[in-house]
Amino acid sequence: MQIVSKGMRATQLYMPNNPVYQRAVENIRTAFRQIWQATDDLILDIGETEMRWEDHVIYNQDQRHESIAWTLYKDGVRSLSFKPGVEDLEIVRFLGVLQQAKNLQADAPDDLLTLLWAEDFQLISYTFRELATENAVPIERSEAGPSIGGAGGTPGDEGGSTDPMAIRRQVEEEAPPKREGLVSVDDFDTTLYFLDDKEIEYLHKEVEREYAQDLRRNVLAMLFDLLELQIYGTVRAELISIVENFIPYLLGAGDFRSVAFILRECKVILQRAREVIPEHRQVLEQLPTRLSQADALSQLLQSLDEATSHPTEEDLSELFSELRADALTPLMGWLPKLHNERVRALVQSSAERLAQAHAGEVLKALASSDAVVQIEMVRVAGRLKLTGAPEGMGPLLEHGERDLKLAVVEALTTIGSPSATRLLEKAIDDGERDVRITAVKFLGQRGHRNAFPRIEAAVLGAKLKEADLTEKMAFFEAYGSLAGAPGIAALEKILISKGLLARKEDPETRACAAMALGKIRTPAARDVLEKVMQDKEPLVRNAVNRALREVGPAT
Amino acid sequence: MTAPAGGGKRPSMMETVQTTDGFLRHAGRDFLVVMYTAFRSLKLYPIENAQVQKALDDLSATTKQLLDVERELEIRIQGEFIFVNSTRLRLDLDNYASFSHILNIFQQCGVGAVRMDEGVDRRQLQVFVSLLLSYAAKEANPNKLFELSQKLTDGGVSFISVEPPLEAEEDVEEEERQKEAAKRTYARSVAVTKEVINSIRMGRTANVKKVKRAVQAIVDQVLNNESSLVGLTTLRDYDEYTFTHSVNVCIFSVALGRKLGLTKLQLYDVGMAALFHDVGKSRVPLEVLNKDGGLTEEEWRIMQAHPWLGVLTLFGLRGYGEIPYRGMVVAYEHHMKIDLTGYPKSIRPRILSIYSKIIAVADGFDAATSRRVYQTVPIQPDQVLKEMWENPRRGYDPVVVKAFINLIGIYPVGTCVILDTYEVALVHNANPDVGHVHRPVVRIVTTPDGALLKPGTVVDLSEKDANGNYPRTIVKVTDPVKYGINVSDYFV
Repeated sequence: MQIVSKGMRATQLYMPNNPVYQRAVENIRTAFRQIWQATDDLILDIGETEMRWEDHVIYNQDQRHESIAWTLYKDGVRSLSFKPGVEDLEIVRFLGVLQQAKNLQADAPDDLLTLLWAEDFQLISYTFRELATENAVPIERSEAGPSIGGAGGTPGDEGGSTDPMAIRRQVEEEAPPKREGLVSVDDFDTTLYFLDDKEIEYLHKEVEREYAQDLRRNVLAMLFDLLELQIYGTVRAELISIVENFIPYLLGAGDFRSVAFILRECKVILQRAREVIPEHRQVLEQLPTRLSQADALSQLLQSLDEATSHPTEEDLSELFSELRADALTPLMGWLPKLHNERVRALVQSSAERLAQAHAGEVLKALASSDAVVQIEMVRVAGRLKLTGAPEGMGPLLEHGERDLKLAVVEALTTIGSPSATRLLEKAIDDGERDVRITAVKFLGQRGHRNAFPRIEAAVLGAKLKEADLTEKMAFFEAYGSLAGAPGIAALEKILISKGLLARKEDPETRACAAMALGKIRTPAARDVLEKVMQDKEPLVRNAVNRALREVGPAT
Repeated sequence: MTAPAGGGKRPSMMETVQTTDGFLRHAGRDFLVVMYTAFRSLKLYPIENAQVQKALDDLSATTKQLLDVERELEIRIQGEFIFVNSTRLRLDLDNYASFSHILNIFQQCGVGAVRMDEGVDRRQLQVFVSLLLSYAAKEANPNKLFELSQKLTDGGVSFISVEPPLEAEEDVEEEERQKEAAKRTYARSVAVTKEVINSIRMGRTANVKKVKRAVQAIVDQVLNNESSLVGLTTLRDYDEYTFTHSVNVCIFSVALGRKLGLTKLQLYDVGMAALFHDVGKSRVPLEVLNKDGGLTEEEWRIMQAHPWLGVLTLFGLRGYGEIPYRGMVVAYEHHMKIDLTGYPKSIRPRILSIYSKIIAVADGFDAATSRRVYQTVPIQPDQVLKEMWENPRRGYDPVVVKAFINLIGIYPVGTCVILDTYEVALVHNANPDVGHVHRPVVRIVTTPDGALLKPGTVVDLSEKDANGNYPRTIVKVTDPVKYGINVSDYFV
């Protein structure tokens, strides 16, 4: 029993894969195996503080909160019996039940006995005393006299007589004597009430269906039938209150389908039900909105993130499809906080669906004061190529932090709409290098002529003097793509200085000019490049060769 | 204990027990089914008939299969249970007919147990089966078993032996113990139900724990000794009708569920749902509930609300984490009828739960056979069953009704009947042999001369006399009140 007691503590404190847990369980098994060498069953008498086996005290613990004996005794168990084999599986379950019973509150719907019964142990049995007086009226035979409602009297009256002759007369009146030779058909028809195979199969299938059904959905359907049909205000108020209170519980239980069902059915009620008073109408209308708000959604997402098993995308999307557009901003805020990848993916795809359906909310999210919301919304907008989003991105480009601006230009390049490219034009002059590079590269590749003046100003002006090679390259290549043949002269001037007194550009700038010429791809560009094929600067030579490859061979 | 020499993993004791039990349950069931087939074939056809021969071949093969594993075979009858090598065989829908037939034959021969050893062959089995059939048909006499045993020996049947049942006194004591246990269970269940319903009516928190214990006790009692508890449903308390009715419906539903082969935990589910099926009545004003005479339209509308009022009540019983969904479904559906023409009306698609159908039948039966303010003369049980069975407009599932009749017999427990011997009797229990559903076991409570008997004598109406005739047959169902008989006294 000491080993069992320690084992109980170990199973309470540790997980099954913990070596301490496993050792404790193995010790219990070993102890029981030793017992089975001496006896075929172990029957223990349970006292308040002790347990006895064949009158020997084998366990004693005065501290009630520690005592297995007290846990058993207080709920009425008076003896316990274990059979061989209990140590394999049932003992661990039994200890779990004891632990559960110890922690039950006084008003809990279960006690040790109901828990033990539900476990349906095969190798553990117990006897118990019913503790509380149940106000049960003992069932005794009635006093001598007539039956319920009878008051005595002659046969045929409400109450019957007990006079034998009267009884005999009554019987003869009711049942004339049997005619000899007559047989009863009933004695031949013995199969009328047998269940045939089909009927047995039907019953088995019905039981299977009973346990396969979604009980919650069934009950919810009832509630909504009642809401629709019962026009009394007090009844509807009670039903609506039940529905409202049910939702947080369902969310906590991860039953998102049921919550989605509730939201859908609320809409049906509002359409179909008669005489819904304004107060009730308002509550029903507000349900999806309330669920879409930041606090409620935060609870949901937090519980999702912490859960050990998660709903399918289908379940979650069923719920989210019922949420109002308001939900989008809180969802965006939560995306980066979610630790669980699967949950994140689920929330992201559901949020994307909301974003696609509600352009206005996208703009709201972009205008959020929460930078996290903004950046996530920008990314989503880019992924989904939401053409309405650029409208909300302008201010972000002007005032946002570096990461946000970068995300914006990346999104704008993906979206690629006219409004997006207009914003990207402005981004050419942005204070952030990466922003400029991303914008100019896109615009160059796109052949967006409107951007040419800014690009030309940068290339031919002093702006790129302090820029690194990558940036210079980006601008020059874009220039080359957009300028076309008319740009050759300017590029040639940069690539090849003419005369001793002419300004000589640095090798990086000259190399960039060569790359720009490569983008022009005309014979004239080729000619210019060939002039400097043997340039003494390796950087320039390499650039020229690459550019020539891009231009292609002379025809 | 040492590990086996080969070093292989030895099955655990539990695995061995479970495997053995599982094997015995399956093989034992098969064995009894083939034995039943052999009995029936031999009864209907001559020995040379191909069907008979095949039945005997099957019996021989099945016996050998069992003996190859078990080495010896003991089939023991205890009450209404059959044990094969100490493993109790489970009665369910696809074997109960064969089992009850075999039970009947064994009982008629006074056989408590049959033992078979390795060495038994087809010829011995044939002799055994033939002798059993022959002795089952003979008139009861205390030497029957001895004579049978002698015949087996004379017939060269050396590997099959028969034994009497366990001591009759033990049986009587056990029966009394079961009866007392049933009474305690019933009384506590009624008290708990009363406490819960009254708590709800007064807006107090109900003690769900006690209800659980009560239902668990009912399930245990039904599993151990069904007839003792079903007999107590004859206690139709006029004043405490609501509470006894809920308990009676619970008992009938659990007993019916057991017949349908539900597991112990499933029986608990159906029992809980049954106990709460009318909980909505706790919100119906007492003046409507107990009104003497007809209800007005408005009052009837209120009464018809009790199913869905039950749903609302159950939501308030505990927190949302412990909602009794199944109970709600049953409370809501139990008056709907299988074609959904009952009440309340359903708009959204609905398929009735099997538990609702079971509880509807139990509810309808108990209500119709009880005396109420609006039904001063209860309808006789057999008439109620007849109406349920024959009138589809009542809306009961016909298969469930059939199974219910199988459970309680054409003449349910407590039915007062007149026999063709001018005796008055009370139906004690349905005949274990469902082939004799019209011939229950009755307790004779008056002599042919009209003298009242207490406690009376229990007789099986399916037993025949030496001439092969039935000495007693039910002629008519009657009202026990006419004869000054208080039915429940004979079950308490």
